[in-house]
Order: sequence, then C-alpha cells, then structure tokens
Amino acid sequence: MTRLGFVVDLERCVGCMGCVIACKVENGTPRGVHWMRVLEREVGTFPNARRTFTPVRCNHCANPPCIAACPTGAIEKRPDGIVLINDQVCVGTMACLTACPYYIPVRYDGDGAYFDEITPYEETKYASFREGTAQKCTFCVHRVDEGRPPACVEACPADALAFGDLEDPESRVNELLDHRRYFRPREELGTDPSVYYLVGKGGGPLGGVDAEAVE
Amino acid sequence: MRALPGGMARTLERAWSGWRPERATHGNVGRPFDLSYRVQQHWGAKVAFYLYLGGTGAGFVFCELLLRGWGIIDADTAAFGMWSGLALAVLSALAIFDHLGPVSRWSAYFAFRNLRRSWISRGVTMLFALLVLRLLLALPSLPGADGLPWAEGTPLGDALRVTVLAVALAFMIYTGLVISSWNAIAFWNTPLVPVLFTAFSLLGGLTALIGIAWISGGPVAAHTVYGFSSSTILVLFMTAAALLALYLYGMSTASRAARVSVGLLLHGALRTPFVGGVAAIGLVIPGLVFVASALGVIACSDATAPLFLGSVVAVQLGGYVLRDVILRAGVYGPPV
Repeated sequence: MTRLGFVVDLERCVGCMGCVIACKVENGTPRGVHWMRVLEREVGTFPNARRTFTPVRCNHCANPPCIAACPTGAIEKRPDGIVLINDQVCVGTMACLTACPYYIPVRYDGDGAYFDEITPYEETKYASFREGTAQKCTFCVHRVDEGRPPACVEACPADALAFGDLEDPESRVNELLDHRRYFRPREELGTDPSVYYLVGKGGGPLGGVDAEAVE
Repeated sequence: MRALPGGMARTLERAWSGWRPERATHGNVGRPFDLSYRVQQHWGAKVAFYLYLGGTGAGFVFCELLLRGWGIIDADTAAFGMWSGLALAVLSALAIFDHLGPVSRWSAYFAFRNLRRSWISRGVTMLFALLVLRLLLALPSLPGADGLPWAEGTPLGDALRVTVLAVALAFMIYTGLVISSWNAIAFWNTPLVPVLFTAFSLLGGLTALIGIAWISGGPVAAHTVYGFSSSTILVLFMTAAALLALYLYGMSTASRAARVSVGLLLHGALRTPFVGGVAAIGLVIPGLVFVASALGVIACSDATAPLFLGSVVAVQLGGYVLRDVILRAGVYGPPV
C-alpha cells in the first residue's frame, strides 16, 4: 500500500519562497491563493534575534478532518493518500476551512487577477478554478501520476523538501526519518498528517517545538 | 480562573477586528505568512442564526408537544406554538443554506450527501425530518383529515409524537455537537458545548412558549403554562448559568488556544456582547423576573405583560448572542 508524504528539513529551509513561487507557476493559483506557504517568525530579541521558516501546505492527513466536515462529500482521499477536492461537487460551504486545524483550504470566489486586466496566462490558468469552491494543495497530482516530483520539491534550492512513499522502507523520506529527529504538525489531534518536519542540532526552536510560545 | 498571558487578548483582538478577506476570497488569504493563533472567520452570524433558530425551534416543538401531551396547554396554543417552532426551523434552514452555498446557492441540496461522516449533513437532515414529522403529526387536526390513523390519542399518534420529541431533542443536542466534533478549535471541542446549547435551546423554547401562550390566550393561558413550568424554568436558568460558568472555567484551564478564546469573551473584543448580551440580558435580568414571579412579587396580568414578554425576548436575544460569541471566539492554535 502506497502512502505519499513530504519530509521538510527545517534546518535546511532558508525561507527563499522558491516553493511558493514554483507552486504558483505550476498550478496558476489566483491572486492571494497560496497552496504552499512558508511561515515565518522571529525568535529572540536583538542582538540575538533570528528568523525561522516553516514550509506548510495541505498535510494530506490519513484521517482528514476536512473530509469528515464536508457536507457535500466533495473531498476524497486517493489510495495513495493524496486528499483532493472535487470542484464539481464542492459548493463552497467553508466547512473544511473551519475544520482544518492547519487552516489550509481557501475558498476562491473569482476576481483573482493580479492586475487591472486579466493576463492571457491568468485567463488560461484560472479557467481550471471553479468559482465558489474550496482550493488546496493537490500534491501536484498531475506530476506525481507522471512519475515526477511535486513542483515545490523540485524547485527547492536548499534541498529542504523531499517526498516519497512513507510505506516504502527504502524511500528517501524514510531514509531521512531514520537518521533525524522529527515531528508531525499537531499530531495530538489525531489527524495522522503525511508531512514530517526534521529537526536536528540547532533545529530545536524551529517549527512546533516551542510554537506555543508564539505571541 | 487562570489569567491570560500578557497582551494575548489584545493581540487577538487586533487580529479579530483588523483582518478582512481580500476581495471576495475566503480562507487563509491576505494573511501574513506567520505562525500565530488565529480567530476563525468562516462561521459567523448566519451559522449562529442557524444554531439559535434551529435549537430554539426544536426546543419550542419539544415543549409544546410535551405540555400538550400532559394537557397543560390547549389545542390552539399548541398549534400556535407548533407553527411558531416550525417557522423558526424553516428560518434556520434558510440561514444555513444561505451560508452553505453563497455562490452556488441552488446547489445547496448537496449538503445532504455526506450523512455518513458530516455533522452538517446529519443536522440539515434532522432538521427536515423534524419539519416533516411535526407537520405529519399536525395533519389529523386539519378539517377533513381527522380519519388519519395517527390522530391524537391513537397508538400510532403516540409513537409519532415520541419520535418527534426524540428528533427535536436530538437536534437540540446536535446544535452543539456540530461544533464540538471538530478538534481544530479547542474552545469548541468539549462535550459541554452540546449540553450547554441544549439547555439554552430548552430555555428559549419554554420561555417562548409562555410568550406564545400570552399572545394566543392572554395572561390566563400564560399563567397556566407558567404555573406548571415555573420550577422547570428556574431550574433551566440556573442550569444554563452553571453550565456556562463551568464551560468557561474548564476552558480557562485547558490549552492555550482555549484560554485565548476565554480571554476574548471576558477581557477582549467580545466582552460587551458576552457580558451584556448573554449574561445580563439573556440570563440575569429575565431570571430575576421569573424568580420574582415565582415568589409572587409579580403576578401574571395585563399590567405585567410587557415585563414578561420583554423577558421572553431577552432570553431569545441572549440565546442568539451566546451562539454568536462562542462561534466568534473560536481560535486556532499554530498550525505547526
């Protein structure tokens, strides 16, 4: 049984937003809609202040709260673990937006052009987005089905992102997980996310380790 | 009650009042890419209306059926109460469908599709079942339909009455379950929410029935209903207040996101609607009127009608504001 997942090395991520741009270019998401984001925060105070970066996208949970919340049954999970929204069934109830503890889905209500007039690129790309429907990362399913990695993984210059089959002991993701400390986001909620964050020496305060201290 | 960490309520207050969706897109749009606590923005007034109207409508039907079954209210008051309860239920259905399908509004029937997993689907289905079953129960009282086998007093009629009571009770519980079933927002994710909402639904339904009895039959009818149910109403007032206090205390000792929610209600942007709307207008003032009436200080008469009817309206207002502020106080913890 295949279960696709991501591994994010928080020590390697430099916050260049290359994955964010790659996702935008690959999927042509409308203005303001980001399937891939790099969350930023400041740690410490001057002169010992620094910034940390945590790339996030849909965690393609094994037990997705969005599927349980959606009254229309528009969200489905493929056998390989990828969670997808069927925009022919979605009517934009926003139940998934509220139920997702990672606040990942967004609802696209049209009017997403970046400039005063819609560009030919936008016209072509936005045609695949049905207005009034929820949107989120698709794990670049069109690429994965062709045997290619998701655009964010391919674009990352720091090699901070990896993807693969979590059920395959020989996969790159398992190789990384075998040798590093890691955590999964909000694992205590029982969502069983398919994204792992690697922390190591120097990686302590990153990501969720002391996220409770954020204010 | 544990105090909130310094500045947290103010931070959340700013986040809550300052952010608006960019253009017409909803969700995590226009937000800074940062790790922080966030107030949920998607479930607001329409859902609060749905939870309040649906819960109170179900409470109304529940109390009306029960009191009619015990012979406390006459057929006219029961019918008036039934239509009022069903009207509230229909309004609640309109509110939820308006929320569920703002763009593809006429596709909102999709909301019935995921009965197996979604509490929203289960809720709208229960609501329509309540409407249909209660109308079915009312059919034999219509002229020319008195020969139907489920008329009042028949075994089939009794079975249908019990079914309607069960569905009404289930719907009252559901109004809390729909939000408590999600663990994304710690403030909602407690079994106390369904209990609290059920208590407020019963209180809203029973007090509204007194109002309806007054309107349909004057002070005599209202006094009959109140005379029978005064102790129940006082118990409901005290139960609702105790549950609310217990809920807030429990959440103030729970996770940090839950404590932020409590802070929003007690010290933050939602303090005025919560303290003024829920506690003072919804519980304390009408509670005092009903206590005074139970002690014989205030009698049911035409002269005191404005006081009683005003108290009934105040309970309804408090019931709505309760749902609204609990929804608005929902806070997500950091996503990672």
